[in-house]
Amino acid sequence: MMNQEKLKAWIDSGTPWIWLNATAVSICLIMVVGVLGLVAIRGTSHFWPGKVMQMVYKNDDGSAPKTLIGEHIDTSLMSVAMAKANGHVMAENEDKLVQFLMKTGNRDLTGSDFGWILERNSKNVTYPKELVVIERREWGNFYGYLLSLKENGNVIAQGDTLWAKVNEKLTTSLALFEEIKKLEKKEIGAVNYSLERLRLKEKSLQLKNKLTVADQKEISAEREILDAEYKKFQAQLTELYQKGRTISVVAKIDNGSELEIPLSKIVRIYQPNAMSVMDDIGFYFTKFSEFLTDDPRESNTEGGIFPAIFGTIMMVIMMSIIVTPFGVIAAVYLKEYAKQGVITRTIRIAVNNLAGVPSIVYGVFGLGFFVYILGGNIDQLFFPEAAPAPVFGTPGLLWASITLALLTLPVVIVSTEEGLSRIPKSIREGSLALGATKFETLWQTILPMASPSMMTGLILAVARAAGEVAPLMLVGVVKLAPTLPLDGNFPFLHLDRKFMHLGFHIYDVGFQSPNVEAARPLVYATSLLLVAVILVLNLSAIIIRNRLREKYRALEG
Amino acid sequence: MIKQEPLTHAINMNSYINNDFNNTDETKEVCIQIKDLNLYYGDKQALYNVNMDILKKKVTAYIGPSGCGKSTLLRCINRMNDLVDTVRIDGEILLDNQNINDKNLNVSALRRRVGMVFQKPNPFPKTIFENVAYGLRIQGINDKRLLAETVENALRGAALWDEMKDRLNDNALGMSGGQQQRLVIARAIAIEPEVLLLDEPASALDPISTLKIEELINELKEKYTIVIVTHNMQQAARVSDYTAFMYMGELIEMGATSDLFTNSQKKQTEDYITGRYG
Repeated sequence: MMNQEKLKAWIDSGTPWIWLNATAVSICLIMVVGVLGLVAIRGTSHFWPGKVMQMVYKNDDGSAPKTLIGEHIDTSLMSVAMAKANGHVMAENEDKLVQFLMKTGNRDLTGSDFGWILERNSKNVTYPKELVVIERREWGNFYGYLLSLKENGNVIAQGDTLWAKVNEKLTTSLALFEEIKKLEKKEIGAVNYSLERLRLKEKSLQLKNKLTVADQKEISAEREILDAEYKKFQAQLTELYQKGRTISVVAKIDNGSELEIPLSKIVRIYQPNAMSVMDDIGFYFTKFSEFLTDDPRESNTEGGIFPAIFGTIMMVIMMSIIVTPFGVIAAVYLKEYAKQGVITRTIRIAVNNLAGVPSIVYGVFGLGFFVYILGGNIDQLFFPEAAPAPVFGTPGLLWASITLALLTLPVVIVSTEEGLSRIPKSIREGSLALGATKFETLWQTILPMASPSMMTGLILAVARAAGEVAPLMLVGVVKLAPTLPLDGNFPFLHLDRKFMHLGFHIYDVGFQSPNVEAARPLVYATSLLLVAVILVLNLSAIIIRNRLREKYRALEG
Repeated sequence: MIKQEPLTHAINMNSYINNDFNNTDETKEVCIQIKDLNLYYGDKQALYNVNMDILKKKVTAYIGPSGCGKSTLLRCINRMNDLVDTVRIDGEILLDNQNINDKNLNVSALRRRVGMVFQKPNPFPKTIFENVAYGLRIQGINDKRLLAETVENALRGAALWDEMKDRLNDNALGMSGGQQQRLVIARAIAIEPEVLLLDEPASALDPISTLKIEELINELKEKYTIVIVTHNMQQAARVSDYTAFMYMGELIEMGATSDLFTNSQKKQTEDYITGRYG
């Protein structure tokens, strides 16, 4: 009886309710921290240089023991029953089977980068300082020993001087590579772009039957100049390529086979076991900045993700530019001008429900309407000379931005409307009483005061749009875009171009990659970056909003 | 009995302030003429057959219990009731012999001639300067010297210049309630209206600020025709030349303030003034 009363008193006091609330909040916090923590730890640890081990490995099948070189990536434990079911022979005293996932690299020679080995079969694990890892532009990492450096087939360094000489030559080779890249992308890219424009100009004149002899002469003269330029650059390029090919390193892998790798194919050579902690840290930051600023290599599993970051930000900015005016204008009409009746209410409900339509539906709509119908017609009307190649009649940045703007429109409308209705009536009356018209009142006073709410809408829109992937796959995102949507060629902003996106990059690297093991850490790293990009975009919007709020602090009470 | 005490005092004060009122040779020029005004909110009638003359450069006070239609009547004079969707107005209001209920009338132009100050101070979230300059900017005046001059004059007119001349670029929302209300008055007189409508201008203010506003009204009536709605009968007695008593949407009685307070013709008026109801 006493206890029951006590229990009732306890319940009535509200304590259990507070506990329930606190538990719910804690669970939310734990989940958020867990997600971010996992992504952050997995994502950032990817760039830390792992030590490379060498061991004597004896297979269960009774073949002769062999040397194995590799980086330890993961450990898995298997119960005895599982191990037996998987065909492993287990000794009496073993209670579990320990397996290591090793990154052994040398895909060109052994067929795979990764392999599982049994811990019990590995002997004499050492970490030789001379072991090198070579990051290559093709075929993934190389693990093994350097033997010599060759120039035009002749050995120019060996033994003690080898390491210093290799590093010296590699620096030159990397500079050369940068030069080649610049020449290809910038100079030759610009010439190609001009040539293409010239061709389109000629064709367009032809289509209009306005191609005069003078025009033709002018065009061919220009083309000759460009062709000459192109030839010049091409010659330079060939020369650079030949220069790069002359030097190569000879290296040996764990099974003894030797390999000659041209320096031009090498990104980086390092001796992980000889590196101090400071070296490790330096290496870490180099790798991380490469990840942020470089183009992807090896079907996106290596190198950086700069184009994806750039594409994401670009798309979000374009989306914001499109969605803000549209949303605000629509909200102003709905709230201020439209007669508040059944129709307005219906429209409002429809707008609110638009926010709940699955995003892929927007993608389908974007593809069907924007890309094919709108884009197709634009091509027919304005770019007949480009046919049969589409200009706007194909997925691209513009259509992706518009599709996402449509997707996020309800959010902007709803929050702008809320902002408008929060402005005290007295402010409107004050302005009207001074002889301002409704439009002047809106423009001078109401809209600035509602701007924090518009920014709130935009923040929500940005958060949603930056993370959206499904519709983008239909309307403009690609696995690998050869050019950025913004470059030095007129008209600088190329809205018709396809672009890369962090969200799609995660999907692509994680699920479409030929090398799943190699790609996994990149999935985390890219996710981390996507979160960071959204955070930065949101934070900047929030800062702007808070400034506006401070400025237009509404009358209290 | 208890309620009457301050009232007597107020009337004494009133006769003290308006001691020139009984001068008989004063010109009485009509500024606003309200003729047979009926106002409906939807099906509900809020004003019944109101007829009244408002004299130029005088202070006319509307008194009456809450919901009697005095604010509604005031808001008819600058067509503020247009903002209410369901409103319907019959009758005429003549401002200098022009009917302001005319459908083709330029409402903005009317409101430039008939300024209004509301119950709660409603400065815009802008600087003090921009608040006062708002009406001018709306008219497309952007000449810096003219703006500065007008703002100064308006602030002086609202007895705010000395307090605020060093703070013109501060946000108006940082001012006190009384200062805000005087700012709003400055904002209204900056565009030089003919008529000023004051809708309970001091009801949200402390006694000292109220006093300042009342002093201001006394100064302003030299230049403007003022119509003031007030709940506070002492205030009506102190500041106004004429008083109209309204009850349930009807104008019960109107007359010179001193007459109305000392010698009201209608019993309802007397009951209200003596505090028997209201």
